[in-house]
Amino acid sequence: MDNQKNIYKKLLPIAILLLTTTNTFAQKVVRYDLYVKDTLVNFAGKEKRAIAVNGQIPMPTLTFTEGDTAEIHVHNLLKEETSLHWHGLFLPNKEDGVPNLTQMPIKPNTTHIYKFPIIQNGTHWYHSHSGLQEQIGMYGNFVMLKKADDKTFRNGIDDLPTLPIVLSEWTNVKPENIHRMLHNANDYPALKKNSVQSYGEAIKAGHFKTKLKNEWKRMLAMDVSDVYYEKILMNGKPSSDLKSIDGKELKAGDKVRLRISNGGASSYFWLTYAGGKITVVANDGNDVEPVEVDRLIIAVSETYDIVVTIPAENTAFEFLATTEDRTNSASMYIGNGIKQLQSPQPRLKYFEGMKMMNDMMKMNGDLDDMGMNMSLNQMDMNVVMYPEITGDSKPKQSENDPNRYNANALADIVTLNYAMLKSPNNTSLPQNAPVKELKFELTGNMNRYVWSLDNKVVSETDKILIKKGENVRIVLYNGSMMRHPMHLHGHDFRLLNGQGENAPLKNIVDIMPMETDTLEFNANVEGDWFFHCHILYHMMSGMGRVFSYENQAPNPLIPNPKLAQRKLFADDRAFHFMAENDFATNGNDGMAMVQGTRWSIGTEWRLGYNDHHGYETETHIGRYIGKMQWLMPFIGFDWRYRKLETDAMGNVHGEKNLFGQTNTKDNRRQFSLGVAYTLPMLVVLQTEIYHDGNLRVQLMREDIPISKRVRASFMVNTDKEYMAGLRYIVNKNIGLTTHYDSDMGLGFGVFLNY
Amino acid sequence: MKSIKILMAITVLLSFTACNAQIKNAKTESVKIFGNCGMCKTTIEKAGNKKKVAKVDWNKDTKMAIITYDAKRTTQDEILKRIALSGYDSEKFLAPNDVYAKLPDCCQYERKAQTVAKVETPKTEVKEDHSTHNHSAMTETRQDVSQLKAVFDNYFAVKDALVKTDGNTSSTKAKELLTAINAVKMDKLTTEEHTVWMKVMKDLAFDAEHIADTKDASHQRDHFMPLSENMYALIKVSKTETPTYYQFCPMANDGKGANWLSKENAVKNPYYGSQMLTCGKVVETIK
Repeated sequence: MDNQKNIYKKLLPIAILLLTTTNTFAQKVVRYDLYVKDTLVNFAGKEKRAIAVNGQIPMPTLTFTEGDTAEIHVHNLLKEETSLHWHGLFLPNKEDGVPNLTQMPIKPNTTHIYKFPIIQNGTHWYHSHSGLQEQIGMYGNFVMLKKADDKTFRNGIDDLPTLPIVLSEWTNVKPENIHRMLHNANDYPALKKNSVQSYGEAIKAGHFKTKLKNEWKRMLAMDVSDVYYEKILMNGKPSSDLKSIDGKELKAGDKVRLRISNGGASSYFWLTYAGGKITVVANDGNDVEPVEVDRLIIAVSETYDIVVTIPAENTAFEFLATTEDRTNSASMYIGNGIKQLQSPQPRLKYFEGMKMMNDMMKMNGDLDDMGMNMSLNQMDMNVVMYPEITGDSKPKQSENDPNRYNANALADIVTLNYAMLKSPNNTSLPQNAPVKELKFELTGNMNRYVWSLDNKVVSETDKILIKKGENVRIVLYNGSMMRHPMHLHGHDFRLLNGQGENAPLKNIVDIMPMETDTLEFNANVEGDWFFHCHILYHMMSGMGRVFSYENQAPNPLIPNPKLAQRKLFADDRAFHFMAENDFATNGNDGMAMVQGTRWSIGTEWRLGYNDHHGYETETHIGRYIGKMQWLMPFIGFDWRYRKLETDAMGNVHGEKNLFGQTNTKDNRRQFSLGVAYTLPMLVVLQTEIYHDGNLRVQLMREDIPISKRVRASFMVNTDKEYMAGLRYIVNKNIGLTTHYDSDMGLGFGVFLNY
Repeated sequence: MKSIKILMAITVLLSFTACNAQIKNAKTESVKIFGNCGMCKTTIEKAGNKKKVAKVDWNKDTKMAIITYDAKRTTQDEILKRIALSGYDSEKFLAPNDVYAKLPDCCQYERKAQTVAKVETPKTEVKEDHSTHNHSAMTETRQDVSQLKAVFDNYFAVKDALVKTDGNTSSTKAKELLTAINAVKMDKLTTEEHTVWMKVMKDLAFDAEHIADTKDASHQRDHFMPLSENMYALIKVSKTETPTYYQFCPMANDGKGANWLSKENAVKNPYYGSQMLTCGKVVETIK
């Protein structure tokens, strides 16, 4: 009897539990229909193509409650393929939305259904993972609410009036063209942002030596970002008013929670608020212990939940998102009444930044952190460029001050860094699981815009196999000159930031040059998961890897894995075309080139207007070697025709080169083998041996920035040819030139480039 | 004489149309912009003007500006925002406080529009408004939080001012602190809070008053030490929404060391300001 009683006692709670769980598991299916369509927009003075979903940019905010099932019907009305990735979500791999990896692309005029259970809460977002569609409108908020009875529900935070905001940027230039121009080191965006950092500007700022040293170390002028954007948008608007939330008017003393996602393709944003401190309450969709700061930077694709207070009556306070390069911003005025502005972030001190880079860069292109063990954004080398931290003029900090890059130590404002994030819960991984440790160095080449991990792009590597159940620990070191927001699909990782058991959970880690960060996650969902830099143009250049589970079931949405892989690899295998020609009074001078990650095929030509000036072309097919890609062996083919002067006797005077070898200028066809090497000062030394045994050595430097708009170039070789020229940049595609050429003499021209 | 006058009139007219002619789709409006002197005029107009797009003509006596702009390419708001960002309030925008503070002395016009904001800048008044609003909606304990919250907030404001070694601001903030201390209704406090409050109230008021009475930061710092200790005792028994950090600098108080409270765990030393901003460490996190 006793036993039976006990059984009843035991069964009762189980029965109750079962009853209630069936209740809570009575899944509510929430359906959204998304119609993806081409559209024309006018964000910055010109009608341009964009992609709207359900007729709007950004895409509609999708809201769910934990425990729901999401059913999202994507109707592709475009003339091209598309896909949607649910950023930061835990879901079955086939719902992850990476074309050619977790599914085949959604073809035009077809519908694809994503269906998955919502098993987490927090602020996330979604975007197209196809090509460059994310840049032109395919981003939106994705909010998952806590259940009302959730144990982690935080009074005073989770019950506040809330607005989701997706940040983004707009450019009038087609994204494909931006991508191409980045690969060709076109500095027109720098001109638009006034960050050319030419010799003229350097001399004016008293930084001539800095610039010289910078070029000696073979660096092009650096900015903190590469793309010039005309407009910055918050929920699709450069400026907007937030006067009420859910029909309730905002007034003094009210607190507002903003769920902010950075849907920008390549921009980091500083967030500041005119009404005082910002309280950070969540990051990447995971709660953190509230922390008060004056400002924070949100990396590409990160999300932050912040709480701001309206401190005064009859006033609306400006909430400002400023690009990291500080050239542009978007505002939202929170509250009702006269608008209290927030002072804009002052312009960067570029030459201080250049000086800092000079100190960090070794001659071989590696970075030297001078023993500072940087991590978690605590030391920000860029503070040397921030007038609000280091003053308007020369920085006063000493060479040996351990805090000389610590923004919080140098100024009386508080800037958020990752070390300040603390999870309210114990986030430790399963204790007895095997540990797999992986190390990656983030590598890159600014001049040729090649971005990679361990100097290998996606298409040059195999998938990285991990086992279900093991704890994967990744150590990242950023050896490149730019910061990278590294994003892991399908999992949250713990960022080891000194908070012990309470390490915050994230799915993006922003890692600055020379930083080392460690993250770890438990491998718990099978599939092929992308791990990549979320700067769109870096990702498209191949900066990423794929994590794949050992012995996993095949993905039913990938019927032909070989084909899918080839299409996936096509992204970073793409070649970029450029061409330029100078239509000058003394002839045409130009080149055309296609380049990929490693290969370069280029043709140069000089076409005179008569036989004495001659016509010549040189074609080189080369492969870049090494991380810095300073060395390029190539094979070449020359063709030239030039009618040489004859003397009174009718003898043709052949030309001799410096080595005493006679030149076949007159109608020659020559194969060659050669090697090009970039010397300090960015001078290219090209040594070529032709099939007839002739040797040619040439020194050339193009695009020497003299002033903001003037570029100089020169060339000299052992065939006793030489050239020097100047170019004035009129706009993105047009320049005015003058040059002197040993074959063709002095000329003036109009320069066109693509 | 007469012909000269006519000539002048014509030239004035011509020049006027000439400079107006640059701006297409011109729209002209008259708006109020606050400011003082000729220097203000230069700054306001320079900030507002944009070649071929906008032209601002400000009159320092009437404080009125004639704004002419290309209605297709810009808006009045854009122009007024630019002007406000250079330090000058209008009826639509308030200049950022730090930009206003950097204006030359002669340009520090009386911020008329700011009076709107001033109603709430003395935080006590807002808090009262805030707490009355809370009375109806929130529970008992929540009220107590806002009861002492005004005291804590003003203390932090004094601390922030001392971090910047800004004697003027710390004096005004201390005055507000005193008001907040006097406004606390003891019967609304919890028993624990009440006990501590009875113990420290007089000292709190004493030190706040002394900080308010002087603009000399070093004298203020002398009083800030006991103020911080009493505040610490109080915050230990009170509930706050966000954690508070109890920090310590071993060098302050002639090497004897001194404490203070902060809402951030990053150390910003109120005893030395920029001289030794990061001297100190967090000794306790109070939740």
